[in-house]
Amino acid sequence: MDIAVDTMNILYERAQEEWREIEDNRVPIVYVGSATCGRAAGALDVEKVLREVVSSEEQEVKFFQVGCMGPCVLEPIVMVQEPRGIPICYAPVKPSEAEQFAKRVLLDGDVWAEKLLGAFSAEPYKGIPPITSHPMMSKQVRNVLRNCGLIDPENFYHYLARGGYKAFLRALEMGPETVLEEVKKSGLRGRGGAGFPTWRKWLFCRQAPGDVKYLVCNADEGDPGAFMNRSVLEGDPHSVLEGMLIAGYTIGARYGYVYCRAEYPLAIQRLEKAIKQMYDHGLLGENILASGFSFDISIKKGAGAFVCGEETALIASIEGYRGMPRPRPPFPAISGLWGKPTVIQNVETLANLPLIIYNGADWYGQFGNEKSKGTKTFALAGKVKRTGLIEVPLGITLREVIYEIGGGVANDKQAKAVQTGGPSGGCIPAEMFDLPVDYESLTSAGSIMGSGGMILMDEDNCMVDIARFFLSFTQAESCGKCAPCRVGTMAMLSILEKICEGRGEKEDIDRLETLAYTVKQGSLCGLGQTAPNPVLTSLKYFREEYEEHIKNKECRAFVCGPLISYHIDPERCVGCTMCAKSCPVNAISGVRKETHKVDQEKCIRCGECWRVCPAIYSAVYRKSGSRVRYEPVKERRKK
Amino acid sequence: MHIKIDGIDVEAKQGETILECALRNGISIPHLCTHPALPPFGACRLCIVEVEGMRGYPTSCTTPVEDGMVIRTNTESLRMLRRNILGLMMLEHPSACLVCERRELCDRYRSRAEKVGSTTGCHTCNNKEVCEVRVLSADLGLAEIISSPKYHYRPVERSEPFIDRDLNLCILCGRCVRICKLHQDKPVIDFLHRGSKTHIGQAFGKNLHEAGCTFCGSCIDVCPTGALSDKYAKWHGAPDKETATTCIYCDEACALLIYAVKGKSISAKSLDENVPICALGRFAIPEFLNSPERLRSPLIRINKVLRPVTREESIARCADLLKDYKGKSFALICDITSTVEDRHVLRKFTNDVMKSPYFFELTPDREGYAKFENIPEEVTAVITTGNFIPQTLRNRFKVVVALDIFHTEWTKSADVVYPIAVFAEVGGTIVDKNNQFRRLVKACNAPGESRQEWEIIQDVAKLLSNGNWKEYSSVSEVTKELGIQDSSLTIGRKEAPDPARNLKLRRTWFRGHKIEEYVLGLTAVRKYEEQETLDVSEPSASIEERRISKEKFSVLSKRELVPNVYEFIIYAPAIAEKAKPGQFVIVMVDESSERIPYTLCEWDEKEGTITLVVQEKGLSSRKMIGVRVGEKLAHIVGPLGTPFEMKNYGTVVLIGGCYGIGAIRRLARELRNLGNRVICISEARSHYLTYYENELRQVSDLLIQTTIDASLGEKGHGIDALKRLIKQGEKVDLVVAIGCPFMMMITAEETRELNLKVVCALNPIMLDGTGMCGACRITVGGEMKFACVDGPFFDAHLVDWDEVRDRREAYSDAEIQAVSASKPVSIGLEHNHYNCSCMMY
Repeated sequence: MDIAVDTMNILYERAQEEWREIEDNRVPIVYVGSATCGRAAGALDVEKVLREVVSSEEQEVKFFQVGCMGPCVLEPIVMVQEPRGIPICYAPVKPSEAEQFAKRVLLDGDVWAEKLLGAFSAEPYKGIPPITSHPMMSKQVRNVLRNCGLIDPENFYHYLARGGYKAFLRALEMGPETVLEEVKKSGLRGRGGAGFPTWRKWLFCRQAPGDVKYLVCNADEGDPGAFMNRSVLEGDPHSVLEGMLIAGYTIGARYGYVYCRAEYPLAIQRLEKAIKQMYDHGLLGENILASGFSFDISIKKGAGAFVCGEETALIASIEGYRGMPRPRPPFPAISGLWGKPTVIQNVETLANLPLIIYNGADWYGQFGNEKSKGTKTFALAGKVKRTGLIEVPLGITLREVIYEIGGGVANDKQAKAVQTGGPSGGCIPAEMFDLPVDYESLTSAGSIMGSGGMILMDEDNCMVDIARFFLSFTQAESCGKCAPCRVGTMAMLSILEKICEGRGEKEDIDRLETLAYTVKQGSLCGLGQTAPNPVLTSLKYFREEYEEHIKNKECRAFVCGPLISYHIDPERCVGCTMCAKSCPVNAISGVRKETHKVDQEKCIRCGECWRVCPAIYSAVYRKSGSRVRYEPVKERRKK
Repeated sequence: MHIKIDGIDVEAKQGETILECALRNGISIPHLCTHPALPPFGACRLCIVEVEGMRGYPTSCTTPVEDGMVIRTNTESLRMLRRNILGLMMLEHPSACLVCERRELCDRYRSRAEKVGSTTGCHTCNNKEVCEVRVLSADLGLAEIISSPKYHYRPVERSEPFIDRDLNLCILCGRCVRICKLHQDKPVIDFLHRGSKTHIGQAFGKNLHEAGCTFCGSCIDVCPTGALSDKYAKWHGAPDKETATTCIYCDEACALLIYAVKGKSISAKSLDENVPICALGRFAIPEFLNSPERLRSPLIRINKVLRPVTREESIARCADLLKDYKGKSFALICDITSTVEDRHVLRKFTNDVMKSPYFFELTPDREGYAKFENIPEEVTAVITTGNFIPQTLRNRFKVVVALDIFHTEWTKSADVVYPIAVFAEVGGTIVDKNNQFRRLVKACNAPGESRQEWEIIQDVAKLLSNGNWKEYSSVSEVTKELGIQDSSLTIGRKEAPDPARNLKLRRTWFRGHKIEEYVLGLTAVRKYEEQETLDVSEPSASIEERRISKEKFSVLSKRELVPNVYEFIIYAPAIAEKAKPGQFVIVMVDESSERIPYTLCEWDEKEGTITLVVQEKGLSSRKMIGVRVGEKLAHIVGPLGTPFEMKNYGTVVLIGGCYGIGAIRRLARELRNLGNRVICISEARSHYLTYYENELRQVSDLLIQTTIDASLGEKGHGIDALKRLIKQGEKVDLVVAIGCPFMMMITAEETRELNLKVVCALNPIMLDGTGMCGACRITVGGEMKFACVDGPFFDAHLVDWDEVRDRREAYSDAEIQAVSASKPVSIGLEHNHYNCSCMMY
């Protein structure tokens, strides 16, 4: 088969030219991290100010809006590449500092040392350490995120210049069987959460009879706090689309869908643009590159239902029905979208494919451990010092992720647990932080890999409250089809609420376990089957917290409001009357310059007195069960 | 292929599911959401099984069989899981009755469901006798409710034509949604919202008609609970007879199943459950046939007035009148909704006996309308089988014999009127639009003296033919004479008739009668179509605008305490002034309504108000709860009855259930003021059904709350709490039980051995309330007593409880008929907790 390689070569030449202009730039280039995360921090305002300043000085400067570079805690991020120089990364550059930044860095050519993150080079550049030596970056392996933050995601040639679509060309040369074999050899597993071997799903679909087959890219990222897929789609959409071409070609699909939630407008906009570019350059449509392979991709916007990330619900949603899962078998690979064989892959799985095909399975296998190969992106959040989007080789320990990449616990508190896998995952206690991050280890600990949420909890997090939070999410997002999930989560939630409100009974823990078992075993789809995980793991590792809530009416983290009472220390109170004035129910008695007292009968536990007590006195303290807590005013004000 | 189920080798068919294969082989697997008429769904999770080599517990209703499968359907873990799953489902369904320890006794004592507004327990559920959930919970051994049930406080939807919907009973099996998709091109209902807010409904809050419902009723047929019900049929109980026959509203001639109770048709549905029928066939037959306006007796004109007479008299008069009109002065007019047999006899009578050529068979138009105006001038005597001739032509005729079902101007001006049996009341044959014969089978009895047309005419013919009439003894003889052999019921219909897809294509007329005049739902449909407002009268002004005046018997406040129970505060100063604890009043809501006794729960002499707690239990109480704040009740008589003897008894236990929780309130306060130790026990089925907690706590030394499902306070009935108290050494001097007869009966029965004095307050049907009519008589200790003047308090151990029940149910048939034929009532609550952010929802 003659593949129209020539067409591609012309494109590559053009791409190289454009890329040379970047590497060998005449005028300064400014890269602004303008993915949704950057925009939320004001990146567009920063860019506007920078442009205004340089144009008023009639300086010629090139601007690129690039994707997310990862360290969310430091947004907005700006990179500056002086003529024939190396990009130097500054963060955070807030909109209020933009003018100063423009003058100092862009006009005067200074290096703003306090904002310096590092240089994009392997070696120190002009005395600036390479960014890879930054503690947040040094342990990361950026494969999926290889282009994020470096290329203009809306520029097709940028992607080509970085080796884009070469893997697809190679796949066309290899033929579907060999590609399948290579993917099998790579050990790639689904990145959506369950970790099902990708090749096996492909094989089922390939072997299923039928002319029309479908490939669906699942971009319905719904875990609260997770944004890995969004960052890839916004920062490097072509890597996902190339992955779709490879997967579609291998399984023999004719049509592809990207099921993306409508809450990701920027991702959808960039995808639309990228798909148009592919059609324009003959990478989609009939007989692509004269290879005989025809493939079309369209975008289906989801309305933001968590359950639509479940394969069968996603299919129903694309078909125009209510997003409700159906029992399997038949599996989608046999009978999926419109009854045809369908493969559904997560964004990250697809973004991995070009790397595997281009670099080979052996190269890919160098990352990860025996059963979990490759890298995985995580949205690191919670009480960690450095939050952000990271990519690490599988098999890395939780400790490395939290303490080295994340920089440890914020405010130097005690870590309590890490939650992985979002609402379907579980909490892994601090004692187990040497656990390697891979599919099997996380599952054996009662949690799951999930799509990549990783939330650190410290001593100020109440584990009962955390379980309640995640369950309230799954409860509200249950599609309502099967009783165990719809009613079971509601019943579990009502027990957890009862415990958090101090009305827990000693039978409640047993009830929770019975309910959790019923929901796990009885539910129709993955949502219900995993919904009890946050409860089960917190019961497994933090049972004493539940017991304290129930028996002693005590919340050791001082989170559960009804279990906290407010008191005034007579030793410290000077009678300034601040607390009494602020009390909405007049529960505080006492006259000026005399010790005040809280009437516990009247008190509604709003905490206002505790918040307003001046720092020098800090006389109002909190009590939960037998625990007493005095806090400095700064900490109090935050709450 | 072969599979193994529970160790038994069975032959499986390619493509069938495990459940289908098991059921075919006589192995039962519990299931709920699956239904023979529907594709599998896999939602209820009760049909889960274990399959070797498969992960978890697949649902047998969705898993196709594979050769060599090894399946277990009844392991301990499966049984436990199923029980727990059903238990979860029951958290969203009024389920206390399912786990009640006295449920068998209850079923025996009150076999018929009570006609309430919102159903909150099995004995108030119209679906009780055919409920699949009850069967399943018994099979699976459901014994306790694991967590606190959640009642969604969704208002019962009673203003739709034909269909009542109570989503508080819905278990979301999705059968209605699926059958709607299957039977209708444009499905009307679907699941709405997510999580525990999921419920069934129409998009954008439209009503059924706006959403395009054709009222095929298929959703009701598949609903396993009482959530969806046929407004007309719902309280009639389980049918005792089903008959396959044919619909004659139009010439589509759909095959029907007619259900009947005691010879009376109560509902109809499509014979083939895979093909829906139109709203007329589904809903309009029983209500039409059972209309109270049906003619029941033959009438003849005596001294210019139509008077009811016997069959023989009317036939004789008929023959007498017609004997002088033989030849062309006579005509007989019928239409093709009469059976072929009827028409054959009628034609024979016209041609052979009356020697007239004028036998007219009318063919109704698209709307079912058949008016006949081209009557030959020479005709001066007619027999009609319906309202066919314009009244303007009446003066042409000297003799009119009207065979008909309803009175019209025509029948009112006739010389002889004879009621006829039609439709499902007759047997015979009709012809459909494809000229095929269809069989009619008698499914129910015609009212009164109504008979089939041929029978009546044959009687006349015998008198007029001088013995030359060849008599038929049955319809089948006529059928045989006509040589009809292949009349069969409609089977083979592949598609729904047009009106089942587009309601506008329905017939409007039947034998010259407008069907909607006798079928409430059709009136509603027509009004929707013409975009008129429904008869459900909404409050004309908001509560602020309506001035709440303190006039006699005006309602000052009204609120729904718990589902189906309302508290009324009414201005009635004369009653408030004289009331004593334990007395009651008799209320008439309007001038024509029933007189209903209500216990005085509380009163305020100063304000001149009385407080009543009202449960909706039938037409009259439905009217009562429809009264709005500011409106006036027609009459209140009271205080009535012998007051409770107030003195210091020592320790008094007051047990209140349902309305009785309200009724013990004042009693408790006054007894306590006299120095008694007062223990109040309030019993309810579940936590959302108990009320007046604070009120009772204030007036009692000890308040014990019991719930059947243990969701609040102690588990069980009030009597269980009483027994515990006594066991723990509480010395009880007097027990007063106020509630439904069942609750008072078990309190009496279970305290018989305890050497306790137990008093109950009887509340039977009353009329005057002053001891004159005797409607409330009951037997206490072998003596006849009048509850209204001798009571309401009686020694519970002496009461004949079976008689109490029987007397309460004495008029239930009439009550059901009245409720079924009543217009929907808006309960007119300004605040019903729905779509509001208050804590109740």
